[in-house]
Amino acid sequence: MGEMKRKETEQGKRRSHKSKRNPSAKLKKRGPRLPSSLQKQLQQLNPTTSDDTVDSDDANDVYEYEEERAEEESTRNKRYDPASVNDDLSQVLEDENVQSDDESEDDDRTGTERNGNAMTDDSGEEDDGRHSRMLQAITGMPREAFEENKKRKKRDNIIPELYPESEYNPSGDVVDGDGHITIDDLLDPLREKPGYGKLRKRSDRINKNSRTIHAPLSKAVQAKVERKAAYEASKKDVSKWQPIVQRNREAPTIFFDENVDLGFSTVGAIASEFEPRTEFEKKIAALVHDDKVMEAHKQDGSKLLEMNKIKTEASQIQMDPEAAEEYAMKRERLRAEERMTLKHKNKNRWAKRILQRGLNSQDEGTRAAIAEQLQRHAELTRKMHTMDGSSSSEDTSDEDDENSAGSDQDRTRKLLGKAKEKTMKVLDEEDEVPQSGLLSLPFMRRGLEKKREAVVEEANLASQEYENLEISGGSEDPKAASTSGRRVFGTSKAQISDTSIKVKSDNYYGGSDSDNDLGTGKSDNIENEGSDFLHRDQNNDSVAIQEDTDTPQESVFKNIDEIINNPGPKTTYEVSIFVSDTWKKAKNLNEGRSIKKSPKLNGPARQNIQDAEKEIGGDSDTDSEGQMADGILSSVSKLPYELPSQEELIQQAFAGDDVEDDFEKDKQEILNEENPEPEKPLLLPGWGQWTHIQQKKGLPSWMLKKHEDARKKREESLKERKDAQLKNVIISEKIDKKAEKLHTKSLPFPFTSKEVFEQSMRVPIGPEFNPATAIGPLNRPERHLELKIENPAEEAHTDKDV
Amino acid sequence: MKVKVISRSVDEFTRERSQDLQRVFRNYDPGLRPQEKAVEYVRALNAVKLDKIFARPFIGALDGHVDAVSCMAKNPSQLKGIFSGSMDGDIRLWDLAARRTVCQFPGHQGAVRGLTASTDGHILVSCGTDCTIRLWNVPITSLMESDDSTKSTIEPASVYVWKNAFWGVDHQWDGEHFATAGAQVDVWNHNRSQPINSFEWGSDTVISVRFNPGEPNLLATSASDRSIILYDLRMASPVRKMIMMTKTNSISWNPMEPINFTAANEDGNCYSYDTRKLDEAKCVHKDHVSAVMDIDYSPTGREFVTGSYDRTVRLFQFNGGHSKEIYHTKRMQRVFCVKFSGDGSYVISGSDDTNLRLWKAKASEQLGVILPRERKKHEYHEAIKKRYKHLPEVSRIAKHRHLPRPIYKASKLMHVMADAKRKKEEKRKAHSAPGSITTQPLRRRRIIKEVE
Repeated sequence: MGEMKRKETEQGKRRSHKSKRNPSAKLKKRGPRLPSSLQKQLQQLNPTTSDDTVDSDDANDVYEYEEERAEEESTRNKRYDPASVNDDLSQVLEDENVQSDDESEDDDRTGTERNGNAMTDDSGEEDDGRHSRMLQAITGMPREAFEENKKRKKRDNIIPELYPESEYNPSGDVVDGDGHITIDDLLDPLREKPGYGKLRKRSDRINKNSRTIHAPLSKAVQAKVERKAAYEASKKDVSKWQPIVQRNREAPTIFFDENVDLGFSTVGAIASEFEPRTEFEKKIAALVHDDKVMEAHKQDGSKLLEMNKIKTEASQIQMDPEAAEEYAMKRERLRAEERMTLKHKNKNRWAKRILQRGLNSQDEGTRAAIAEQLQRHAELTRKMHTMDGSSSSEDTSDEDDENSAGSDQDRTRKLLGKAKEKTMKVLDEEDEVPQSGLLSLPFMRRGLEKKREAVVEEANLASQEYENLEISGGSEDPKAASTSGRRVFGTSKAQISDTSIKVKSDNYYGGSDSDNDLGTGKSDNIENEGSDFLHRDQNNDSVAIQEDTDTPQESVFKNIDEIINNPGPKTTYEVSIFVSDTWKKAKNLNEGRSIKKSPKLNGPARQNIQDAEKEIGGDSDTDSEGQMADGILSSVSKLPYELPSQEELIQQAFAGDDVEDDFEKDKQEILNEENPEPEKPLLLPGWGQWTHIQQKKGLPSWMLKKHEDARKKREESLKERKDAQLKNVIISEKIDKKAEKLHTKSLPFPFTSKEVFEQSMRVPIGPEFNPATAIGPLNRPERHLELKIENPAEEAHTDKDV
Repeated sequence: MKVKVISRSVDEFTRERSQDLQRVFRNYDPGLRPQEKAVEYVRALNAVKLDKIFARPFIGALDGHVDAVSCMAKNPSQLKGIFSGSMDGDIRLWDLAARRTVCQFPGHQGAVRGLTASTDGHILVSCGTDCTIRLWNVPITSLMESDDSTKSTIEPASVYVWKNAFWGVDHQWDGEHFATAGAQVDVWNHNRSQPINSFEWGSDTVISVRFNPGEPNLLATSASDRSIILYDLRMASPVRKMIMMTKTNSISWNPMEPINFTAANEDGNCYSYDTRKLDEAKCVHKDHVSAVMDIDYSPTGREFVTGSYDRTVRLFQFNGGHSKEIYHTKRMQRVFCVKFSGDGSYVISGSDDTNLRLWKAKASEQLGVILPRERKKHEYHEAIKKRYKHLPEVSRIAKHRHLPRPIYKASKLMHVMADAKRKKEEKRKAHSAPGSITTQPLRRRRIIKEVE
């Protein structure tokens, strides 16, 4: 134990020396620093290495080395705290390997050797001498102190420093040249005494369990730590506003008038402030502020007069179930009465009279009463409806459907009937012939007759058709109706159902024709005769009407007409061949007649004839047109005509103008305009021509150079143009000054892309361009600020315009 | 056959009164109006020009003080009441609507440096260089009786004498604490003659203090050692310190964003900071050519007003790098204090020339009752101005301001200097090894360090 003490004192001494030698090192030393197990192990493994390095080093180097190590260990300082590894604790260690004191000593020694001082001590005698001398020189202490130090060097072990070394807190050895007094020191003299073992054990136990208290941090450091923690806390606290701030910033409009307490804004609020002053007012107040009345008022303000009744009833109902049942019964009875009397249904005399006189002429009260009755009725009947409402409604809808279906058929029937009537009327009217005037002249009469014939004929046709339609019962295919649009042969196909009628009339004509019959018509008739035989009988009367009239041209025309209308492309083909022979005639006739006929015709018959006319009209045009219209007729054309190819057509269309060349020229012009060609340097007359030499020299070189530069520049800019590589495109790079006003030079700040920016200005926001409902949100300002008035008493005096 | 005819119901086309407007029916088919964008652009241009024509921000001066106005405080509970303190120790309560003094609070022996009112508006706290804090009961009824023009004077409710002179005071929102700035930061209670808490970090004088309205326990101070310090009353400790290159004269918290505050700096700029990131300013608001003396946020938190030693008052957007408005008159001297009115529509400035001045917050705003149609028109104009503000002509007209010559010249000179500096730096950068010279952004350049 004595050794221990000595070691410690040595250690302390050396430390003090060192601290005097190097103030910077002193700072490092101040903190707790004592053996680390790692270091120990290192030393044990090869104890010479560190010594060797130290040998070569001079004093300064030693300190550097020490500093480095201190830094390395800084993190472990807590674990191997000088305080915690106090002398007492080292004893604990001793206890653990109590078998050999030497070993522990060794350990201790190696531990101390970590310290630079110890290392210097280990080095050779010369070094020691020098060292002690130096120490002496610096500290001014007697040499013996250092010598002694040297002798004890192997024993010293631990630095028992709790406080930083300073003039206020000198270590013991500095004061008296000796180490601290430990408990062991005090125990030593008692070694021979009987109670020593006990005492020793106790002290050991105390040492074992004792823990040194860490030195409190300096005030500044402590404050810093506190501040750090506080900052973290307040940061966290403030961060809770982040989402709100974010939302406010992103909101298009912030409203500052929400949750405004407007004070006296409502009548109720003003009334609540009212204080009764007179007797009467107080009485009224007592009544009005009665709890029951208030409650009832809340429930239904309008029935204030009935208050008592309702209240008693309500209270009763609340009181017992019997009353509730009774109440319900009463209501039901009232309801039944009402239903029975039917007072509400405008059935009584009063209501009837009022309704008779007209609701509009009544005063408001009466009208309200009537309305109430109606409402009542609705209420009372509602239950009934809910009970059997669904099925009845379904039934009615079904009926409706049937009706509508039936009505469709009816309508067509009616329409047909009407048309028939009309045609008959026309036929009847024909008999009246004017006896005098222009119309009575013979040729006029003949003309009229002809006309009439035509009309009769058409009327007959029409009536027949109606009959047919009636028979078929309106189930005609829809195609027939939609045929009129098509021009060429499509019509005939659609009119299949009508053919029989027409063919019949053909038959009639065929039969009556005498002179100019061309035979084809007949042959045609024969073809169709079988199928139409029955119809002919039916239409006998119409034939009879027209018996006396026969015009060859007309018949021919009719033939052609009908044939064209006949189904089947084959027949059409034949007819068209035939037509080409007798074309002129038919055409003329057609033109002459159609004008007269058309106004009087109506219905499908007229449609038919118009179709036919169209047909003929189409055919009567040039051949080429016929070819263009349909391929079927192309074989008939007399001149072989070939369709020109697309290219030929284009060539023909643009014959005589060279578009490409023009474009080239245009582009060149624009290029010249936007990047003008530099002017060629010219010799001004009289300039530079004084002598022959000057004249021979020509233009000055700078001028040429300038010109050349300008030319190069132009070429460059031409190359940089966007349309430089595009042959068929001109992209103008001229800046339109007027349009420039409407563009920004760069993308303005909050926008991230050009499209978004342009989008933001695209839709107009003015009142002329938007409905009134949309203008509000479109034009809403960023901040919607309303005055917040805290004290309404001052509102009257607070005028905003100051 | 159905024949379509024009049918008009009588109700739709009959006016109730002869003064009513005729109803107009429009076809909103965009195909019918191919020029709509051009039309709106021209309207925006006209609206901007009209703004310039109607820009008459100055409403009036409130004179009565006999020395420079050093500080002001608005009454949180009353819209038209404002307190002002002057260098001769005079405190006045003004009626902004009538533009006259309602009452005076005599008592201070030296300059009044700080004024603030409690949130309920009942108590006024003043402090000054005479080392006293005085609490006053604000006359509530005085505004009602302002018609009889007898100026009343009021005795202080309590006077607390302390060890050092005071530079500023601010009241906690909705609490009963107030903080004074002086040799240190003291937190006081209404009812105690001694501070309940004192903070000191560094040994320099604290020159301004401001409580955070959103977080009532957080306060920021600025000191003459060029630092800005945050305190938290709950922890009873300072929180964070940041040192800039120049002194911060005043601080204002954004009332809508409790995380942000803006500092009015001696170098003529204002710096907006996030309390959580003090190593970098969120935004630098430039334009003043001399020290910014005071700053106050609008209650909307979207703009703030600054008063400067260069005799101008400027209005900034909370995120705008440059001012959107500058107010000046010939007679206005150094501006020491500015305040936004409680409704955000007026600005009050107090200056060296002993006057308070009342300005409109929007220079061209129409005062008085605005009819709905007028309001709609204004809204429309605002909307199209906002829409086309980026177009060169519109922005040019909107940004143009006529400045007093000294300010114009000074700003020009500052511009030249900044340009030269930038060029020099660029050259230096170009002629040294790449990466060896780095330029800090302006947001960070003026910050020396952040102290934990």
